[in-house]
Order: sequence, then C-alpha cells, then structure tokens
Amino acid sequence: MYEKAKDAVDACMRKGMSRRELGRRLGALGLTAASANVLWGTASTRALAADFDWMKHKGKTVTLLLNKHPYTDAMIADIQAFKDLTGMEVKYDVFPEDVYFDKVTAALSSRSSQYDAFMTGAYQTWQYGPAGWLVDTNEFLQDESMTAPGFNWDDVLPNLRQSTAWSGVPGEALGGEGAKQWALPWGFELNSIAYNKKMLDGAGGEPPKDMDGLMELAAKMQKDVQGVYGIGVRGSRSWATIHPGFLSAYTNFDQRDFTMEDGKLKAAMATPESKAFHQQWVKMIQDSGPKNWSTYTWYQVGTDLGAGASAMIYDADILGYFMNGGDNKEAGNLAYTAFAPNPKAKGPTPNVWIWSLAMNSFGEQQDAAWYFMQWACGAEHALFGATKMDFVNPVRQSVWDDETFQKKISDNYPGYLDQYKASAPGSKIYFTPQPLFFNLTTEWAASLQKMVAKEVPVDEGLDQLAASVDNQLKQAGLG
Amino acid sequence: MHPAIRVVLLTLIGLFFLFPIVWVFLMSFQTNETILRIPPSLVFEPTLQNYTALISGRLETGAGVLELAFMQNLWNSFVLSFCSVALSLLLGVPAAYAFARFKFFGSEDIAFTLLSFRFAPALLVLLPLNLYFQDIGLNDTYIGLIWVYQLITLPLILWIVRGYFEDISPDIENAYRVDGHSWFSTFMKISIPLALPGIAAAALLSFIFAWNNFVFALILASADKQPVTVGALAFVTASGIQYGQIAAAVVLSILPTLALALYAQRYLVEGLSLGAVKG
Amino acid sequence: MATVAEGVRKPPRRSFGESALPYLLSLPALLVCIGILVPFVTAVWYSLQRYNLAMPYLKGFIWFENYKILFTDTVFWHTVWVSLLYTVLTVGIELVLGLTIAMLLQRSSAFNNAMSIALMLPLMIAPAIAALMWKLMTNPNFGIFSYLLSLVGVTDFRWGSSPSSALFTVVLVDVWVYTPFMMVLLLAGLRGLPRQPFEAAELDGVPWTFVFFRITLPMLFPYILTAGLFRMLDAIQQFDIIYAMTQGGPGDTLMVFQVQAYLEFFTYTNVGRSAAILMVLWAITYFLSHQFIKYWLRLRERARGVA
Repeated sequence: MYEKAKDAVDACMRKGMSRRELGRRLGALGLTAASANVLWGTASTRALAADFDWMKHKGKTVTLLLNKHPYTDAMIADIQAFKDLTGMEVKYDVFPEDVYFDKVTAALSSRSSQYDAFMTGAYQTWQYGPAGWLVDTNEFLQDESMTAPGFNWDDVLPNLRQSTAWSGVPGEALGGEGAKQWALPWGFELNSIAYNKKMLDGAGGEPPKDMDGLMELAAKMQKDVQGVYGIGVRGSRSWATIHPGFLSAYTNFDQRDFTMEDGKLKAAMATPESKAFHQQWVKMIQDSGPKNWSTYTWYQVGTDLGAGASAMIYDADILGYFMNGGDNKEAGNLAYTAFAPNPKAKGPTPNVWIWSLAMNSFGEQQDAAWYFMQWACGAEHALFGATKMDFVNPVRQSVWDDETFQKKISDNYPGYLDQYKASAPGSKIYFTPQPLFFNLTTEWAASLQKMVAKEVPVDEGLDQLAASVDNQLKQAGLG
Repeated sequence: MHPAIRVVLLTLIGLFFLFPIVWVFLMSFQTNETILRIPPSLVFEPTLQNYTALISGRLETGAGVLELAFMQNLWNSFVLSFCSVALSLLLGVPAAYAFARFKFFGSEDIAFTLLSFRFAPALLVLLPLNLYFQDIGLNDTYIGLIWVYQLITLPLILWIVRGYFEDISPDIENAYRVDGHSWFSTFMKISIPLALPGIAAAALLSFIFAWNNFVFALILASADKQPVTVGALAFVTASGIQYGQIAAAVVLSILPTLALALYAQRYLVEGLSLGAVKG
Repeated sequence: MATVAEGVRKPPRRSFGESALPYLLSLPALLVCIGILVPFVTAVWYSLQRYNLAMPYLKGFIWFENYKILFTDTVFWHTVWVSLLYTVLTVGIELVLGLTIAMLLQRSSAFNNAMSIALMLPLMIAPAIAALMWKLMTNPNFGIFSYLLSLVGVTDFRWGSSPSSALFTVVLVDVWVYTPFMMVLLLAGLRGLPRQPFEAAELDGVPWTFVFFRITLPMLFPYILTAGLFRMLDAIQQFDIIYAMTQGGPGDTLMVFQVQAYLEFFTYTNVGRSAAILMVLWAITYFLSHQFIKYWLRLRERARGVA
C-alpha cells in the first residue's frame, strides 16, 4: 500500500510540480514538510520523531472499528506511514455504513475491549459519552507528554471542536463550560446546495438565493426539463432526514429544536415561524421533490443527482462532490452554491455531520490508541487524504489553506471552494444535545412524512409532535 | 383443468417470480451508468468488471484501488451454514427419532420447547448473549456463531425429520433388531437410510435460512467472519451505491445454494412429508 | 428384509437403558438450545427496568412500568395491528399462491421439476438484499417496474413511499421471497397423497370443486398447517424486508414489532422498552404456535385413530 502511495505521489510529481517548487513548499510550511514523510519515507519520520517519542508503543497493536467510507479508504492507504512512524501494528474491522452503528452499539454495550478506537458521528457521542463508553480526550489533549507538539489542536476548525464536545448535561450548549471532548473531528460534511449546472443553464435557471427562490427554481426545473424532478432531499423515517438540508434551513429562520426553561427541555417545533417554515418545506417536496421521497436516504439523493434524475440537492456538500466524479452520468456537470434560505439571515447556517474518532473506554491500551488517534487526526494525514485521496471535507484550516488541495478542488470541482468559504463560518451542529436525540428526531421525520403524505395538516402535525416530544421528555425526567 | 389456462397461469407465475431474478442477473453485467438510466433499458454493453472486482477482491475506482472482502464473506457464509446444518443434523435427527418413535414423559413438551426457539425474537436473546459470550470467550468465534445458528436450523430440521420418521413403519426396524442387532446399529443401518429424503430436504431448507441470516454474525463477530448478506451491503457507501456489484454479489451468493438444491432436488419433494398421516 | 419383517409385529421388550433412550436422544438438542434460555431470562429482567444506556443514572427496577407505557400508547396498538395484519395477509396470500403453484406442478415431469427449482430462486436471496433490489426496481426514475407501469398509463404509483401503497409493496416483496417456501412444502404434500381417492373420484365423474374441497384440502391439511406455522413465525417477526424498504414508514404505517424493537434498542439505546416490546411479541407468537401445535397433534391423533 505504502509503495503504491509513493508511486502515485511520484507520478503526480513527475507530471506537475517541479523539484524546486516542492523544496520551496517544504521549507515554507513545517506542516507540508511533515506530510512529505509520505514522499520521502523515513527521513522525515525521523525528523518528526525527534521532538516526540513516537516509538513509545512500538510493537503494540491497536484495533479499530471503521465504517466503509472514503475517509476510511484514505486512512488505510496511508496506514504504512503510521506504522513506520510508531513501529505499531494496526488492525481494522470495516463494516458497511448501513449497519455500522448497530455494530458500534453492540460492541460498546457489551463492554467489549476488542476495539481500541472507532469512528463515530458527533450525535452518537451524546449517547455513548453519558453511557460511559468513551474516554474524554481532553485527558490526552492537555497532556504535553502524550500529545506531539506538532499536533496543533487549534488548527482544527473551532466550530467542529466545539460540536464534538459536550458536558453531558441535557440541553447544555456544545463546547460550553466543562465540556468533555468525546471525540476528535476527522472529516465532515456541511449541508448546502449542489446543482446540475448544465441542466440549469439549459433551462435558464439561476442558483437560488433564498427559500422562495429555491421553491420556484425547483418547480421550474421540474416543469421545464422532461423526466427530471426539482430538488432532492432525504425523506426516510430516520433522524438522518432532519439533520441535513432541513435543519440547516430551519435554523436559518432562527428556529430551534428545543428551548431550555429552568433546566427543563421543551419542544420548540410548534411556533408560528416553525409552522410557516414546515409549510414551505412540505410544499416543496410535494411539488418538486422525489416521488418516492419518504424512502429516500443519502444514497438515493446522491444517485439521482449523479444520474441526472434531479436538478439539484440540498444535502451534504460532499455528496455533490462525489457525484461529480466516478462513473456518474452527470460527472463534470455539477456545481455548488452556499445557501441562506432566510433573506434576513446574515449568512448560511449549515448543520454539519462530523465523522470523528473516539476512544473505547473499555479498551486496555488507551495510550497506544491515542497515538493512533492523534496521527489519524493530525495535519500530515489530513493533507495526504485531502490531496491524494477523496478525504473531503478536511477538518483542519491548514489543509484548506494548502495550495495543492485548493488547486485539486478548484480544477475538478468548480465552485466548491467558494461554496465552502461562504458556508463554513456558520457551519456547526444546531441540535440541542440530549440523550433522546435519536428517538425525538426520528419522530420529527415521521411526522414530516405524515404531513407530506397529507395524512395530517402541517399545523396540527406540529402540535401533535410537540406534545408527544414534551411527553417523552417528561418520562425521561428531562422536561 | 384446461391446458391453456395452465400455460397462462404458469407463465404469469414464472414472470412474477423469475423476472426480478433475470433483471438482477442482467444488472450484474452492467455498470452503474447503464443501470441508472431513465427510462431503464435492456440495451447495454455487458461487462465482467463487477465479477472481476468481487472475485479478485480489488475494486478500481477513481480514487484508487479498494480492497473487497467479498470472497471471504462468501466463504464465511458457507462455513457457518454448512457447520450449523451439520451440527443440527447430529443433534436433531436422533431427537426427531425419539419424538417419532417413543411416547415418553414430557415428550411433547420437549418437542414444543425446541420448536419454540424458532419464535424467540432473535434480538431478544442476541443482546444479552453478546454480554455472556464476552465472558465465556465465545464472542467472535465460529463456534459461538454456529451455536447461535442452531436457533434457525435445529427447529426446522427437528420438525421435518420427525414427521418423516413417523411416516416410516417401525416394523422394519423391529425385524432387524430381532435379528440380534443393537439399537444403535439399527438406527444407523435402517432408520437413517430410510429417512434420508426427509433429512436431505430439511437440511437444504435450513441451509437456505442459515445462509440468508444477517444479524447474528453482525452483532457477535468481527468483520472477518461476516457472511455475504453483510458483505453485499459494503457497496452502499457515502460516495454512492454500486448496484452492479450488489447484483453480482447476489448472483454469486445464489450459486452455492442453487447447486445444493439441484443436487438434492429428488429428495426435496419426497422428503417433506411432515408426518402427515396418509390415509 | 421384508421376509423378516413378516410375522414380527411386537417391538422387543424395553430394558431400563431403553426407557432412558428417548431422553438420551433428545437431550443434546435441548441442552444446546437451553443455553439460549439464560439470555432470554436476562431479557425478561431488562424488560422490568427503566434502562436506557444513554441515561445510566436513571436505571432502576420499575416492575411493569414499561408494559404499562406500551399498553397505554396508541402507537403501540397500531404496531400490534399492523404486525397481525401483515402476518395474515402474507401467510394467506402465500398459502393460496403456493398451493396454486404446487397443484400446477403436481405431476412429476422434467419441466415441472425444473420449474419447481427455478421458483425457489427468490428464497435463496437474503431478504434484506432482495428488498434493496426491489427498492431499485420500484424507483420512479430508474425502476423497471415503475417504467412498466407507466407504459400502461399508471404514472403516479408510489410503492413503498405512500401510506396507501406501502403495505401492498412490502407484502408483495414478502410474497415474492417466501411463496417458494410454501410451494415446496405443499408440493411435497400433494405428491405424497395416495392415489386411490382421486382415481375413484375421477371414475365417478365427481366435479373438481368437490374433489378439491372434500378430498385434496382435508388430506393436505397437516402440510398446510406446518407450512403455515413456519411462515407465521417468520411473518409476525418480519424485519428485513420492511426495514430495508421503508424503515417502518411512511409515518407509522409499517411500524411492526421487530422494527420498533430494533429502533428502540440500536438507535435509541432504550433497552428496557425494547425488551418489553419483544416480550409482548414473544407472548403472542407463543400463544399462536401453541394453538397451531395443539390442533396439529389432535389432527394426527384422529388420523391415527381412524387408521
């Protein structure tokens, strides 16, 4: 694998970058120099190891539980670099995304020490953390003897650091006082609009500026282009339907999922503004969403855009990224735009999904696991993944600032960087952290389904939802 | 019945049950690009790339070469199903014989209890089991899995084979025994050969159910012991879904069971007599 | 051997060893399964607790509170109703269809035998994967079924995604997957039936409806019962197909027992509630299969008595 990576990099160098330029870049950034250990083998590994004892856990084997994902592929492609650096072995179990979290729950709830570290989303840490399954990584981050000087935690986007930290007190803000860093951000996706530029140009459409514009454009595209529907959004009976475009837009209208009063949580979905927004969203799906909307999850939303069945999507930006490559029919035709549905909003407020690495609290070699985590979440590997593989979006500012990465993205994914720059400042998790996140949010999706299917009027549906949510919060002693 | 009606009915039935199979078969020779066309079309240039990717375990993508563990999944399915059925036969056939031949205290209760394992919701036992397996060191072992698979295979085998034994008159066995042979040799030399069709049919059906199981290995074992059912889901990833490879995975995963079914075909119908007493 | 059999009617007298024999024979099977009983009891214990993994501080014994919450929840009664409806529909349709196919293929010929194997193919695809394939085939853009429907003028059929057709869709997939199981068992039954009654009926020129309802069905009944029992046990616990097709939606349309219990455990980490739901399911299946078996045993006794 390592040889392959080297070959690939060599090939890339032969084609483009001159030796001199590489030298310049090496000198310019310590960071880039570190990433070059992939290129230059052990020489720089030794240099990096000079100020930190990377070899401390030599001979140990860490075992990982991973989801089948492009991030995982990138990590595996680079794993030899970690082995060379630390003299450690890495074993990994990769499970399909469809069943991944079931596997995680099964493994952790049985207090298994089999896996030392694993991939998780930030929302999941709201269960795993309080359940006592995770190690608070602050213990390691704040320990200078444990964390390499070059790790540079501050380089990780602040919103993401916050979004993966929580005190464990239901309703308390993410990243607030006494927050535990339950996981390290690894890669993330924010939600904005990706559209079929060829299709839009052909029909004389412009990327939307606000919610009304989005609804109009979606309807127009559906009407003007034969056999195509206007906008792809998720709709399956799952919390995953709420968290992408829907919550991003909802937040943009200053709406929240819950309010906190005297330490008690209360449903906030039944406000007049929320009802007005739900009306629009439901109508958009009824008029110009996918016909089988209520069975749609990420891969159908993506597949449709890639195969030219939809004009645009309001979903994870990286979905639009992947659909613009590979053997997708519309590869090369897609474009991206940041999106603030509320005309009065200061800017976009994309909710984010953060693939993170967390440490199993039942693991028996946590120090060694930490060595792996800080390497995997470190700048060197992030740069390798972002420039040589499909590790988008990276979580580190230094990678976004890297010229090679910028060039790669702007060459192949026009508009992606601009979209990112406009979206990034407002990108974070907008849910209120609390242990019933998954059932209440899934119930939210189920009631959205009922509204779209016209089984219940929007206003009434939201009143029912709020009542049911409040009831469940009470039962759990949270409301 | 009028032959024409029969032909029409059989054609309709054949279409309903076999058309999706044929369609999946065709999909397995296509790339995503031709599968995802609007409207769907039968015209395509067949490619073997899905099969070569699965069999060689290497998938060439835009982002590089990815490793696939599909053949390992296939092998796991085979090991798990085969061993589970073998163990079930070893345990179930003598028990089935006992229930068929002897009326003993509690016999119906024991028989019902064994059947009842078939309707214990798998989830209900799986989760605590996961904890206990951890303690006794059976988690993530083939042996542990094969044990749990008994929940699927044993009741079916027991029930079908019992019925078959009941259909066989005990006279022949008795005669052989009177000749001075031990019970064990009578069982091995007379009873089992006579019940072979029933045993074969039961084994085939429980093999199929074991093969299609999904959740046991997922919860109780690590990635290197997962069956094809889990393996086939690996083509649904964040960067899209690979329908062609899923289709090829389906085709490959049918082959072993189909081969078994063809081999056991003559027993299949003969063997499923289910203890119905014939007039 | 046949000559030996003649004249020997009585089994040899049993020694103590022999009377222990049936226990010795059935015990290993029982022991292997009894290991499963321990986790089962643990699950019963869980169902009596307030036990959400994400809220360990709330854990405690609460007697039947979980059940009380379930039984006072309309959504749960909907779950009971949908699960039973699904079971009756799938087992009913599969029975009729399976019997029809079995009768069509009753005569043993090369074509019929080949057909019976070919028709078993759907059974050989794992239901979870089969559902994924059906989801593609019913997709409004790329799906062949949606396309074929549009050719005959139906353009707005939404399959699994509309509350009015969701149940139809999952039942259709279930029928596709499991009818072959029914067919194989019933075909075996049909071919095993004695010839005489049918030959006699044919000589007398009895109408086929009479033959079917008065001879075929009653004689086939034990087969129907067993096949139905096994299908019922699976259908009431259906998970793979429904979860893969609609995840229990749209709304709560297809929220059957196993899907609900699965979500409660794996997604909501509410162990106590999940266990309680599964215990209710277990009780229902236990009751139903007990009735089945009792009836089956009685039927057999009667048949023995007549013979």
